[in-house]
Amino acid sequence: MAVDTGIFVGMTLVYLVLIIGLGYLGYRRTKESDDYMVAGRKIHPVVLALSYGATFISTSAIVGFGGVAAQLGMGMIWLTVLNIGLGIFIAFVFFGKRTRRIGSKLRAVTFPDLMGKCYGSPFMQYAAGLVIVLGMPLYTAAILIGGAQFITSTLQIPYTTALIAFAAIVALYVVLGGLIAVMYTDALQGGIMLVGMTILLALTYVQLGGVVEAHTALAAMSDLVPEALAAGGLTGWASMPAFGSSIWLTLVTTLVLGVGIGVLAQPQLVVRFMTVKDSRALNRAVLVGGPFILMMTGVAFTVGALTNVYFYQNQGVIALAAATDGNVDTIIPNFINTSMPDLFVVVFMLALLAAAMSTLSSLFHTMGTSLGFDVIRRTGTERATMRPIRIATVAMIVVSVVLAFVMPGSIIARATAMFMGLCASAFLPAYAHAMYSSRPSLKAAKMSLVTGAVAWFAWTAFVHVKESAALGLSNLLFGVPAVLSAPWQDVDPLVIALPLSTTALLVGWALDRHEVALEGPVEAA
Amino acid sequence: MFGITDPAIWVGYLLALVFTLACLVYGLLNWNNGVEEQRDGS
Repeated sequence: MAVDTGIFVGMTLVYLVLIIGLGYLGYRRTKESDDYMVAGRKIHPVVLALSYGATFISTSAIVGFGGVAAQLGMGMIWLTVLNIGLGIFIAFVFFGKRTRRIGSKLRAVTFPDLMGKCYGSPFMQYAAGLVIVLGMPLYTAAILIGGAQFITSTLQIPYTTALIAFAAIVALYVVLGGLIAVMYTDALQGGIMLVGMTILLALTYVQLGGVVEAHTALAAMSDLVPEALAAGGLTGWASMPAFGSSIWLTLVTTLVLGVGIGVLAQPQLVVRFMTVKDSRALNRAVLVGGPFILMMTGVAFTVGALTNVYFYQNQGVIALAAATDGNVDTIIPNFINTSMPDLFVVVFMLALLAAAMSTLSSLFHTMGTSLGFDVIRRTGTERATMRPIRIATVAMIVVSVVLAFVMPGSIIARATAMFMGLCASAFLPAYAHAMYSSRPSLKAAKMSLVTGAVAWFAWTAFVHVKESAALGLSNLLFGVPAVLSAPWQDVDPLVIALPLSTTALLVGWALDRHEVALEGPVEAA
Repeated sequence: MFGITDPAIWVGYLLALVFTLACLVYGLLNWNNGVEEQRDGS
């Protein structure tokens, strides 16, 4: 990026000193395993809200999805609707409070541990832990690569050095300071992101002559939609794509529903509900969380779409044509570089670095605790010990770094939506059942978890062409990139797998109740 | 609305703002609720 590297290096150093300081504070306050795993269950509501939001929003949510908004338009705002409505309001009010209360009562310290204890089943803990240990490194590697690419381009240092240094700094405070360090640093990072996005929105509208003027100019550009996108159903950047078209299906099923619903059963987010001492803290966190997410994805998607106006007015091209090598991920950085004052470019770069670090630290912590506590040591009722969990965290970090070096780029681009889809399909019905039933059915939960995971994998590997073509399994077995044709190959795996896993839960529950009715009253497990 | 003519878009913006407002109102109305669970719940 074309900004004064000296200023950026100076501000980055100040930022890193603050991060290391907060990490050290977390380390000092981590006296026992509950501190390491669930931050001692006494986190401040504002820290919770910022940490939840900063973990939720990665660099790819701002730069990647902002770039998608530049390509597909303002319809992405529906993802913000779900991010706030489901990801904050429903998540905190309807899931968070019960998760906190039940988690505290059962002394659960991780998401798999919560599932295992709710169902009285080591299988549930082990299976959930395994899904995390196997699936999350993919997502983590994608965040690592995004962060390293960004550091390489801003600081002009070799990619390998950037990736290893990035992972090492985050690893240092995660491994030593546990969840307290993660959440304290998240809160600072969330604050920086909030400042960056607020300035970005204001400067964009100033640059384009005002709110109404900017939107009117964008709406007037509908005849500039490239032929290929128009054929796919794009009608403009201030209107929804044609109903049922290929672009509409991608926008609605993958981006809005896939990512919007997927966030509800993310283990690294669910564990945060167990870090506060009472429901009052969750009530207060809702007040901060809603506006925070609006200022993250709402701003990213709005500014993303509006970059079309800026590039058209200043360079005579649409945003997609202004992207470097046609890569939509470069649209937001290119827009910031060419349109914003130098000092803001530096602030925005720090915001992106903060977004990457906050998501990465939470993933490191969740993977480490899942491997060290749920998968390797899964006796359920015993308390966690910190040393093996720290070693497991280091092991998972090393795996993620290695994956980041070897994974193909085509899969990396899909990793976020894939992991969210997998989590929601496998966990969401069983998690909701555990939270809302006084006698949750283990049979129903097992059926749901297995059905969700298998259906998600089958649709991902054989039908949803964006992933199946990259994975190559369908081609290997059937000689075609996807076994079903359009429109099915544009429908996200979550839209198929989640209803199936929900149905499996309901069927399993009904069967279980039927058996209990036949056997007579039985004491709850 | 604000220069956006497609209702499918401006309704989205409106809902995003309504949900944000709902979060604010909920947080304010329940600012001191939920503290009692600490004693009997855990």
